[in-house]
Amino acid sequence: MFLTIFKYEMRYWLRRPIFYIYAAIFFIFPILISSSSAGLFDNITTTTGSTRIANSAIEIFEMFNAMLVIMLILFPSIIGVAINRDYKSEMHTIMYSYPFTKTNYLFAKFLSALVIVSFIILLIGLGLIIGFRFPGTNTDIVGPLHIKTYFHIYFIYLLPNALLFGSIVFAMVTFTRSIIAGFFTVIGLLLISGLLNDILSGDDYRMLDAILNPFGGSASNYYTRYWTPAERNTFLLPFGKVILYNRLFWLSISVIIFGFVYKYFRFDQNAISFSFKKKKGERVTKNNFGGLTKIDLPKVSFDFSFFQNLKTTWKLSNVDFKYIILNPIFIFIVVIAVFALFSELSFSGSFFGTDTLPMTWKMLQSEDVLGLFIVISTFLYAGMLVHRSRIANMSHIVDGTAIPNWTLFVSKLIALIKMQFLLLTLVMLTGVIYQMYSGFYDFEIGHYMFELYILNFINYLIWTLLALFIQTLVRNAYLGLFIMLAIFIGIDFLSALGIEQNIFKYNRGPFYSYSDMNGYGQSFGLYLIYKFYWLLNGILFLILTRLLWVRGIPSSFKERLQIAKSRITKNTVLGFSVVLIAFIGLGYRIYYENNIANPRRSAKENEQLRVDWEKTYKKFENVAQPRIVAVNANMNIFPNELSYNADGNFTMVNKTNESIDSLFVNYNTERSTIDFNRSHQLVSKDTVFNFHIYKLDQELLPGDSLIMSFTAKSMENTFFRRFSPVVSNGTFINNGAFPSFGYGPGRELRDNKTREKYDLPPNKLRPHPSDSTALGNTYISKDADWIDFETVVSTSEDQIAIAPGYLQKEWIEDGRRYFHYKMDSKILNFYAYNSARYEVKREESDGINYEIYYHKAHAYNLDRMMAGMKDAIKYSENAFSDYQHRQARIIEFPRTAGSFAQSFPNTIPFSETIGFIADVDDSEEGGVDYPYSVTAHEIAHQWWAHQVIGADVLGATMLSESLSEYVSLKVLEAKHGSNKMRVFLKDALDRYLRSRTFERKRENALMYNDGQGYIRYQKGSLIFYALSDYIGEESLNNALSKYVEKVKFQEPPYTTSIEMVDYLREATPDSLQYVIKDMFETVTLYDNEVVNTSFEETEDGKYEVEIEFLVSKYRNNDQGKRSYFDEPDSSLSYKTDEMEEAKESLPLVDYIDIGVFYENEDGKKDVAYLKKHKITQINNTIKIIVEEKPVEVGVDPFNKLIDINSEDNRKEL
Amino acid sequence: MKLTINNLTKTYKNGVKAIDNLNIEIGTGMFGLLGPNGAGKSSLMRTIATLQSPDSGSIFFNDINVLEDKMALRKVLGYLPQSFGVYPKMSAEKLLDYFATLKGVKSKEDRKKLIDEVLEITNLYEVRKKSVSGYSGGMKQRFGIAQLLLNNPKLIIVDEPTAGLDPAERHRFLNILREVGTNCTVIFSTHIVEDVKELCNEMAILNGGRILKHTTPMDATNELEGQIWTKTIERSELDGIEANYNLLSSNYNQDNSLNVRVYSAEQPSDDFITTDPQLDDVYFIALKEDQIETV
Repeated sequence: MFLTIFKYEMRYWLRRPIFYIYAAIFFIFPILISSSSAGLFDNITTTTGSTRIANSAIEIFEMFNAMLVIMLILFPSIIGVAINRDYKSEMHTIMYSYPFTKTNYLFAKFLSALVIVSFIILLIGLGLIIGFRFPGTNTDIVGPLHIKTYFHIYFIYLLPNALLFGSIVFAMVTFTRSIIAGFFTVIGLLLISGLLNDILSGDDYRMLDAILNPFGGSASNYYTRYWTPAERNTFLLPFGKVILYNRLFWLSISVIIFGFVYKYFRFDQNAISFSFKKKKGERVTKNNFGGLTKIDLPKVSFDFSFFQNLKTTWKLSNVDFKYIILNPIFIFIVVIAVFALFSELSFSGSFFGTDTLPMTWKMLQSEDVLGLFIVISTFLYAGMLVHRSRIANMSHIVDGTAIPNWTLFVSKLIALIKMQFLLLTLVMLTGVIYQMYSGFYDFEIGHYMFELYILNFINYLIWTLLALFIQTLVRNAYLGLFIMLAIFIGIDFLSALGIEQNIFKYNRGPFYSYSDMNGYGQSFGLYLIYKFYWLLNGILFLILTRLLWVRGIPSSFKERLQIAKSRITKNTVLGFSVVLIAFIGLGYRIYYENNIANPRRSAKENEQLRVDWEKTYKKFENVAQPRIVAVNANMNIFPNELSYNADGNFTMVNKTNESIDSLFVNYNTERSTIDFNRSHQLVSKDTVFNFHIYKLDQELLPGDSLIMSFTAKSMENTFFRRFSPVVSNGTFINNGAFPSFGYGPGRELRDNKTREKYDLPPNKLRPHPSDSTALGNTYISKDADWIDFETVVSTSEDQIAIAPGYLQKEWIEDGRRYFHYKMDSKILNFYAYNSARYEVKREESDGINYEIYYHKAHAYNLDRMMAGMKDAIKYSENAFSDYQHRQARIIEFPRTAGSFAQSFPNTIPFSETIGFIADVDDSEEGGVDYPYSVTAHEIAHQWWAHQVIGADVLGATMLSESLSEYVSLKVLEAKHGSNKMRVFLKDALDRYLRSRTFERKRENALMYNDGQGYIRYQKGSLIFYALSDYIGEESLNNALSKYVEKVKFQEPPYTTSIEMVDYLREATPDSLQYVIKDMFETVTLYDNEVVNTSFEETEDGKYEVEIEFLVSKYRNNDQGKRSYFDEPDSSLSYKTDEMEEAKESLPLVDYIDIGVFYENEDGKKDVAYLKKHKITQINNTIKIIVEEKPVEVGVDPFNKLIDINSEDNRKEL
Repeated sequence: MKLTINNLTKTYKNGVKAIDNLNIEIGTGMFGLLGPNGAGKSSLMRTIATLQSPDSGSIFFNDINVLEDKMALRKVLGYLPQSFGVYPKMSAEKLLDYFATLKGVKSKEDRKKLIDEVLEITNLYEVRKKSVSGYSGGMKQRFGIAQLLLNNPKLIIVDEPTAGLDPAERHRFLNILREVGTNCTVIFSTHIVEDVKELCNEMAILNGGRILKHTTPMDATNELEGQIWTKTIERSELDGIEANYNLLSSNYNQDNSLNVRVYSAEQPSDDFITTDPQLDDVYFIALKEDQIETV
């Protein structure tokens, strides 16, 4: 019997066209994805990078798993339908009386559906395989085919996942007899799995997350998360214990769920209800055998007017709205969604363990979480509502009433809108409740309502109009849903095919962004223009919906078209034409603006431009140029007009030994003018790169000077495009607005494979610091060394404008406010202008003026930032040298301009998000006080960048960023203690290890780094902190201060990392010289681990602790490939019987912290013993005597070293 | 009040000609449309009820051109489909309010008055708060009548409403329909001859998409006066009778003998006796003649 049903089911699927549609889509889609990742579309769009093997096991795993997630949406319509079909066709009333057992029935149904699903999943894999090898893909980035990998993924992850999600969906549909319930279950599962991810995102929960992640992704990630690029490219997927546990766990859940279905399933006419109160049975008898009734219907008035129909529309929409929201499973998902919202609110936006204050814009960002749910619900319910009367078999009655078609479909539209409003309202309620829960009472209800009910809503409305049309067109709600999802997801892939412009992608457009300082700013208008454009498109779909709306029983699509034709009235034609013209007109206007009025460049064209730049101008890179020695500029900012104009002059000197006759000038906008005080000619004019070449009539002799005067103007903003950097409140413009000199290599393509394609030589990125010819420029400016600076900046009367320097004079003239700033010492050619309606906090101590210019509502952390400035200045003056200014200023700017702070001479523009609105928790458990530490970092730049500036060679950022990070850590440690230090270091270690896995080019050692953030910040802070631990803070600072003394404010040739490391080496004792090599000269990682530990109480009441631990270290080359020796055959090796493979290590003569911890009176762990031990072999066992009863031991217990697995460094006793 | 159908034709995608050049005129009162399953009754009724478009032909109700101006007809139309469902978990009261709104009843008070009345008429008042999806077959059909009345229709179309009802329900249903139909046009399709006999003042027999006979129940039986003959036979004789005579029907008696009815202008043989014509006879004769024609 099992076979009969099973075969019948299989035949059923094989006859259904939908099966072939699904199969085709899940075959073609993976081909597109894998072939585009393997560079198939490089000819029409940008070139895919070259270091990443497209079909490495880990990449395949990610693609394969992602496809399964998309496929989950189909589960209800395959696995759910298998069982639900019998209910829907009421076949079950007959079938359930047939003589087969429920074992046969259930297993046959479930397994047949599972076979179908597994087959489609297999097609995904096949699609991927074909895609990678598709003719035209880039063979350099496609590795050999490992069929084993596909089977590994298929059998270990995807099949069990299909079984798990299949059995859940099967159970839901069996018990509720509703496919919708199945869909919502899938959405719910996705939400829950996202929620779990959020909650278990911390380091401490990594194991739990690995086991509880239903897809198995986290389990695999448990092993692969720190894989270097080389390892990602070549390693096969691991199969470790954690993965096994994860799979077994979820497999047993699947079995339990199916067992549950098996146990409670009955061959029954009615769905199982899980209601707890049992209704009392009642005997029903008929009593209507009576005689005749006189029929006398009351006289009522009928109204078929437009207005009445409008009222009816509203009333009908209520009925449909109730149908949506009273569905228990819908309510259930909404509850889960609210939890997801809450968790998003509490986990997002935390830096170093410190939360951000729950500002309203931040609450509103969480709307994303609900976004997908709203969209899918809209797609699904658009179908359920459009077909609702037909599904309920009530359409013949409804369609026979004198209600116009538009009332019917508009009522569906309104019902969907009501659902969206309800869900959006939930976002607001959750946000407000979360704010109250966080003790934050600055509610901005108006802001909530505006963003949710207008900005977000329009986006959903546009989707709804399309969904309504598609669902009207296809007449099968699930197919409609699938088509909508395909459109929704597929639009993203258009770019890969070279369709980049938003006007060709339904409902796409620029996003708005909000800042407390500047509101929605310019992003707002542009957002609305695009939304209006797509709304017009949506209205066209609405008109088509009207034409295609099904009334009665058309027998074919042809007939529907005939009916549609007959519905076309003059008004329809008129309305449609007007909207169509408006749509195309607006579309063309945008197109014109973006393509014709202002040349738009596709990603590919941009790539070509970079090639042209290099090929045309690279030859001038080393031609001598005069250098700027003084800047005097007037900058006028117009916050209301959103524009600026500036003029000024640069004094320039030929510092070279040769005469100069050509000047290479980069200028910012076409509206700039340039003039020199010597006669000259413009010999080459290039408005594509904004790069002019002038020839001086008389050569500029060595030592001669030249004055360049210029004007610069912001480009005009248009209604569609924003060109000016000026905003109405919170302008931040740096000296990039002014002309500069010489060829800039920043535009060159960096990827060598891409360069090869364009016949460019491999790119060195930056010269090596040992290249003595490359030390002529700092990494900040290539046309100046140290300059005198003076400026007058003006703004509107209600704003304050700031630039580096000391305020000489402030005045108001013609309704504008002027500020005259002048710097009294030499600075780098690096300055900026800020203007906004600021409040100012001022303090003075030790002859230094401290100022914070802030947005009025953002006064939360001013004291912390003030303290950060003072402490960092004090620390740096003590440790290195005197502060060169008498003033330090922090200036807030809007988050829409970025989330960073940047240190200019005595002036630090500081984004509103990275300190001003931090919610610092000073308790022991709290995270890092980053308003304090970021401020300290920026102040440290006044030394490490503004006194000591490296040449523009590899490793330059170590001299600025790594050392600023070091100062910030040291003042943080002094203020908040070493406990907070661990939070910081652990975070830095994890971020370093994670970020390096995404490296696309190469990872050099710290002193030769290419400027990657994860090296200069994270690794830099770890290393300088560890070095100060090894050689002592004082001797480190002594070495640094000697170095500062030698190189500060130096003229070229500039200093390099090599010079600094020499100072450090000198301060390091012989026994620790290896540290310099490990930390600065190579990429070296430890893998330290406590294996075993035990203790005994000694006779004199002390404790003898025995610790067995492993120490090993290895080097990575710049691709992340491991090596265990510098000299051949010198590596160490260790293996026991239990170990699968031997542990290898570089030779060791290392000093490693060994720690023993006890529990103090407060119940907290405290250090009983902490000392560096000399380690010479991998496996070590030592005995330590401590006074207190030990509870935990550790090797490098404070994670000072860079350790690939920092979690096994401690072990509890 | 008059419904006029001219040259109506409808062919389905699968080639079935559901309505075949049909012409008919229907006046006020109860009109029974009699035909076997698959005769095209539902197709015809759905076409009149504006739910389906014919390939050709015209339909007029009074001066309403039904195919051109569907809305005008829908305003005066009461339609009860052959089988219908309702939105689950909605009470009769709520559903009727929904339909009354659809049918253009303007004010809330009016809707309430009207709904109470139709619930009273159909004897559903007691169960008005119960959800209709849980109603028994008879109650559901009565609910169908209730919704149909809401726009005070002039043209009522009910498609096989008595199928599956118990005798009492059927009786009650027909009574209501009769009451409703006193001063409007009611088209009522059925394959049960009894229904027509009890209810209709006019009738037509439909098969294969054509009207085989358009008459009144009275005229139809009168026409056959003296041409229907009956006889009691053994089961084994049936084949002989069928071969030789125009056999209309045969019914078992309790002793396993058969009563046969034969249509013949003359007495077929001596052992046949004349009997009163029944409406069934009219029906069978019409179907049989149609069959011969088709063959």
